[in-house]
Amino acid sequence: MQDLITSTINTFDVRAQYPDSDAMNRLEEYFRSGDLRAKASLAISANAKSIITKAVAKSLMYTDITAPGGNMYTCRRYAACIRDLEYFLRYATYAMLAGDPSILEERVLNGLRETYNSLGVPIGGTMRAVQAMKEVTADLVGTDAGKEMGVYFDYICSGLS
Amino acid sequence: MSIVKQLIINADEELRYPSLSEINLLQNFCQTGANRIRIARILADNETRLVQRGSRRFWKRRPITPSNSGNMRKTNSCQRDQGWYIRLIAYCVLAGNSQPLDEIGIEGMREMYQSLGIPLGNWVEALICLKEEAIALLENEDAVEVIPYFDHIIQALVNPGPPYRINDGWAEY
Repeated sequence: MQDLITSTINTFDVRAQYPDSDAMNRLEEYFRSGDLRAKASLAISANAKSIITKAVAKSLMYTDITAPGGNMYTCRRYAACIRDLEYFLRYATYAMLAGDPSILEERVLNGLRETYNSLGVPIGGTMRAVQAMKEVTADLVGTDAGKEMGVYFDYICSGLS
Repeated sequence: MSIVKQLIINADEELRYPSLSEINLLQNFCQTGANRIRIARILADNETRLVQRGSRRFWKRRPITPSNSGNMRKTNSCQRDQGWYIRLIAYCVLAGNSQPLDEIGIEGMREMYQSLGIPLGNWVEALICLKEEAIALLENEDAVEVIPYFDHIIQALVNPGPPYRINDGWAEY
């Protein structure tokens, strides 16, 4: 995985250059938003379980997915589903701290779609849940941090679709 | 590897969110960020000056060296490498640790220069001259951020550490 700093260094090292002014401005912006990212991470980690509960209530509960015959029917599958949502939330938080989505690609999305297809997990429902998680998270951490987290939730969705 | 990446990897290994103390580290890292960017810019803007002055200083102390032999190619290579090390130090200042230097410029440095036939003692002297020029260029509090990385390179040449063949068991002779 990479964070914004590592990826900037790697990009410019292969060209034997100093980071240009655009890259420096991005780094400056990242450092300036450090407090925001730190606070958002603390808020999310303290409320992770309830974010999942609310997001599931908003998107999946009382739909075909949770009804008998649906992919979330049986406690075991329900538990597997919320476990995956917890992973998405945690990795989206990591990516937000790093300011770079590569950890999502590397540790979440790589092969996920194929796995879900073979398990019969509906992609559409998963994406709805991730979008709901994005809204619930934004309510919790506020607009600015919510927007930043939204980038990584959307990244997960586009990686699934 | 920056401190941010390190703390994320540590947290992920334990399937948890970063702890309060790790988040405090990240906050401190970000709060000093603007200052570190400023120092990296100073290094970028003054690379040529540091290398030129450092070389003059170096040739005065070690006049008999490949870069002072009149072969322009050798002179250019030597000065290019000096510039590159300043660039790597600027990366380290941005990342807040010596990982970029270690990964890009230190692992294998000794072996490479030996195989190229560069007198290592002279290379150390050239780095010391660069370091002295950097001290002359920078304000005190900026130098504190930069100079340890020069020392890091010099130490890697002077005290190379255990050779690659070493293993963890007891050596029997």
